[in-house]
Amino acid sequence: MMTTVQTASKKKGRKIGKSWTIHLFPIPALIIYGLFVLYPILAALSYSFYSFNGFSRESFVGFDNFVTLFTTEPYGSMFVNAFKHNILYFALQMVAMNGLAFILAFIIYKKVKGAEFFKIAFFLPRLLSVIVVGFLWKLILNPNFGTLNMLLGKLGLEELQRAWLGDPNTALISIILVNCWFGLGFGVLIFLAGFQSIPGELIEAAKLDGAKGMTMLRKIYLPLMVPSIMIMTVLTFIQSFEAFELVYAMQGSMGEPYYSTDTLAVFFYRLAFGSSTSGSSDALGVGSALAAVLFLFILICTMIFLKFTNKKEVEM
Amino acid sequence: MKNSSMWSKPFYYVIVFAVATISLYPIFLMFLSSFKTSAEIFKDPLGLPTKFTLDTYRTLMSKIPFDQYFMNSVIVSVTSVVLVVVFCSLAAYYIARFKFSWNNAIFFLFLLGMMIPIKLGIVPLFILMRDLGLINSLWSLIFMNIATGTPLTMLILTGFFKTMPMELEEAARMDGAGNLRVLWSVLLPLMRPALGTVVIVNFISAWNDFFFPLIFITEKAKMTIPVGMLSLFGEHSADWGSLFAGLTLASLPMMILFFIASKQFMEGLTAGAVK
Amino acid sequence: MKKTTKYLVLFLFTMLVTFVLAACSDSGDDTATNDNNSDSDNGETATEEKVKLTIGSWRTEDVAKYEKVIALFNETNPDIEVEFSPTKNTEYNTVLNTALQAGEGPDIFHLRPYAAGLKLADAGFVEPITDINGLDTFSEDYLAASKGADGEQYGVPLNISSTQFFYNKKIFADQGLEVPTTWDEFIEVNEKLLKADITPIAMGTKEGWLLSLSHGIVGAGVLDGNAFAEKLVTGETDFSDPAFVESIEAMNDLKKYFPANSEGLGMDDIRTIFAMEQAAMFPLGSWEIPVVSELNPDLDYGFFPMPSKTGNQSVTTWVDGSFAINAKSKNIDAAKTFLEFLTTKEFGELFVDEFKMISAIPGITSDDELLSELSKTVESSSTPYYWVINFVSGDPTTKTVLETELQGMYLGEVTPAEVAQRVQENAETSFEPFK
Repeated sequence: MMTTVQTASKKKGRKIGKSWTIHLFPIPALIIYGLFVLYPILAALSYSFYSFNGFSRESFVGFDNFVTLFTTEPYGSMFVNAFKHNILYFALQMVAMNGLAFILAFIIYKKVKGAEFFKIAFFLPRLLSVIVVGFLWKLILNPNFGTLNMLLGKLGLEELQRAWLGDPNTALISIILVNCWFGLGFGVLIFLAGFQSIPGELIEAAKLDGAKGMTMLRKIYLPLMVPSIMIMTVLTFIQSFEAFELVYAMQGSMGEPYYSTDTLAVFFYRLAFGSSTSGSSDALGVGSALAAVLFLFILICTMIFLKFTNKKEVEM
Repeated sequence: MKNSSMWSKPFYYVIVFAVATISLYPIFLMFLSSFKTSAEIFKDPLGLPTKFTLDTYRTLMSKIPFDQYFMNSVIVSVTSVVLVVVFCSLAAYYIARFKFSWNNAIFFLFLLGMMIPIKLGIVPLFILMRDLGLINSLWSLIFMNIATGTPLTMLILTGFFKTMPMELEEAARMDGAGNLRVLWSVLLPLMRPALGTVVIVNFISAWNDFFFPLIFITEKAKMTIPVGMLSLFGEHSADWGSLFAGLTLASLPMMILFFIASKQFMEGLTAGAVK
Repeated sequence: MKKTTKYLVLFLFTMLVTFVLAACSDSGDDTATNDNNSDSDNGETATEEKVKLTIGSWRTEDVAKYEKVIALFNETNPDIEVEFSPTKNTEYNTVLNTALQAGEGPDIFHLRPYAAGLKLADAGFVEPITDINGLDTFSEDYLAASKGADGEQYGVPLNISSTQFFYNKKIFADQGLEVPTTWDEFIEVNEKLLKADITPIAMGTKEGWLLSLSHGIVGAGVLDGNAFAEKLVTGETDFSDPAFVESIEAMNDLKKYFPANSEGLGMDDIRTIFAMEQAAMFPLGSWEIPVVSELNPDLDYGFFPMPSKTGNQSVTTWVDGSFAINAKSKNIDAAKTFLEFLTTKEFGELFVDEFKMISAIPGITSDDELLSELSKTVESSSTPYYWVINFVSGDPTTKTVLETELQGMYLGEVTPAEVAQRVQENAETSFEPFK
């Protein structure tokens, strides 16, 4: 029935609705996006094929910068180090942010009183500027004056007190957890939306069949939540591998302490813009190569992931 | 039916309350500290202020042209949001409704923007802005916000348009409505939730952006709040009270906007984003 | 739902109206600023006598003080308007370099000292000023901070920074301690403080740049200050010298005198600790004097030159930045006039009085006792801070490698010998005399 209506309207549409003006619609967005995002990126990515002496672009060197990035020290080991950190970033965010968001959304879905309050509370951090977030948490995590250690002390848990941002074992994890704090609300809202779009009849039917607890989870909830899980995974993946602002706000561009908080984007920033002592970059070409690699990596992974989950959705 | 799940209500409340407390605590800390003097902050960083002093705010306002920064932030954020919504609605409608062979390519092109680290292109961008005469103009920021907000906005709006029933459109067209009228009168009112989402997401990112204002704006008169705040850290690093007052003031507008529009926004995510 | 919609619409509408109003004045502002802004392409000064100069710098702390400097300058040059527009230290390079690469940027900017700043000169962004008046006021050493490889002078040195140990006079008096004049006395002082349950040194290792700074002090204490520096810089010795390794070990040994959790303490923390009298000594730069005094005006503190094992005492010094002219500036002559002003004694005196820092112009005295004493010591017994002066080349720079490896050392992941070795390896690729 739907098709008949559509075919009918298509015939009519050709006469009435589709004037040539429709083709103008995407133009403003395309122009601004193309001019201010695509063009600069392409221009900058082209830098990766040239060698640089300080600021001056010298000669075309093909893939040399890429080779240097992976094989010359210290770039090679910095790359691997940062890459590992990005993977940790992704993994931890999936668990501590998305996992927790899933649970929280589920609880709210199960009709907890004051749902509105909780939704707002979880989302409020997202409204802050990253600089503010970084600053506030640096204070809270301060080893000697900060809330966290003071709280641990009062609870008698002195052994747990440490220099959260100064200890290479905890510095990165602390930053990632702060990022989770920051982004939690968004995940809660997305997952909640997912839960609320599950048709009530399905739940009732399953309950009548005697399903409860884990079975409900596996057979009903999880499969139907795949779209929202997929969205959050992709967005988190992209964000984790491009993690820069919070790390920069909390630890600067050197990946301190001792490179334990270095991420690929911070590494890129250091190569392209230098640090406050070096005055400028020495490696703009290599930095651009890094950005190109990062971009391609994210692109390919995202596409593979989307293809894979599309198949799964069809199967269901 | 017996309570089949192993989790009971009080347990739920504990979890949710615990997380809510952690979510709110730092904001609470910032807010409280803005009413303390610097000395108080040192001696008792976690305690309540002994007397709620507004001096910190007064000092802040006298040291920094906060009203100017605020004005600039408002202009940039509102313009960016309005324009990105307008432009992307047009483009999303096009992609969702009209099946041309290049549709998917355009859509994919927009998505590409989400994966690109835009900082990389800052030098070509700066040259571009200079050639367009936009250095130290708020329009440089507005264009950047529109451009960087386009990918996610397109994602949300396109998805939403696809869920709109065709019948309404057909009816409008049969009444003789042209493309724009269909969009404006019929579809957009139905898209309020999605628009709410898009508005908030773009507003947050426009308001809080500090990188582009940092690079493109050098005149104090044109600076936005985040950049103004950066100088706060350097210039008045000893005056913690005013620092917190500044941070609070910088964050307040976003929170107010959110409280007003929260229902819209959350419905927007609820209804349309999960496609 | 209807109510919130109304609010939302109202809010957006108000904002929209504000925007429209402001946009009209905004474009008005734009043209007005374009006329005055000497950076824009069509800033013609034909109709106006006044020239406007902008100064870029990382010293956001000095905004109010520069207003006085500009006022003084305008007494003799009323036709030149000057605006001081600093950017936060951590972002200064990014902002400046981006602008310079695009052919823009402020008329005058604060040049990072030595090689770091000279990179900009090498790239052609800086206007040579070899011909301006007043350069002979400065010693050759100070001019070297902004002298290019081509022999041209690119900047006017602004101030000298020194790094040394500040100490809390009251705590010392209470504990019956004397200012140490030998290395052993220095260690003894630390031990006594530790036994009295007072944190001897306010130091943190979270921020790398603090570590090269403190090596500037401690290194001079272990090595023979100037003698070692001279040999190092000419290539006669290098970082594999056992004496150098010893200096690294000495830094490691000092860790027990740092506050608890020192690996998590940054600049703000240790400054606060010292200002709030929770530690006795503070190894930092002379630029801290105005900041510490503002934080705690009642603090009674002084400094002592670092005593060395060979009996010398010294403070470690370097030129901490120069003012240079943007090669693409539209007002080079006016800018040169301003730079000449920076070489005058009047400026030097104002600078010392207001900024409480040491001027590069010789012979300026100050009312501030601490600063005066420090200036005198700088002139009589200084040793060069070679990390900044000679070792900021390479990627990463040798100084950076020192900083990160020292950080690793304090975290127990690297031995002092390894620190020295890695620094040496890096220096061999970037420091000419070592190649």
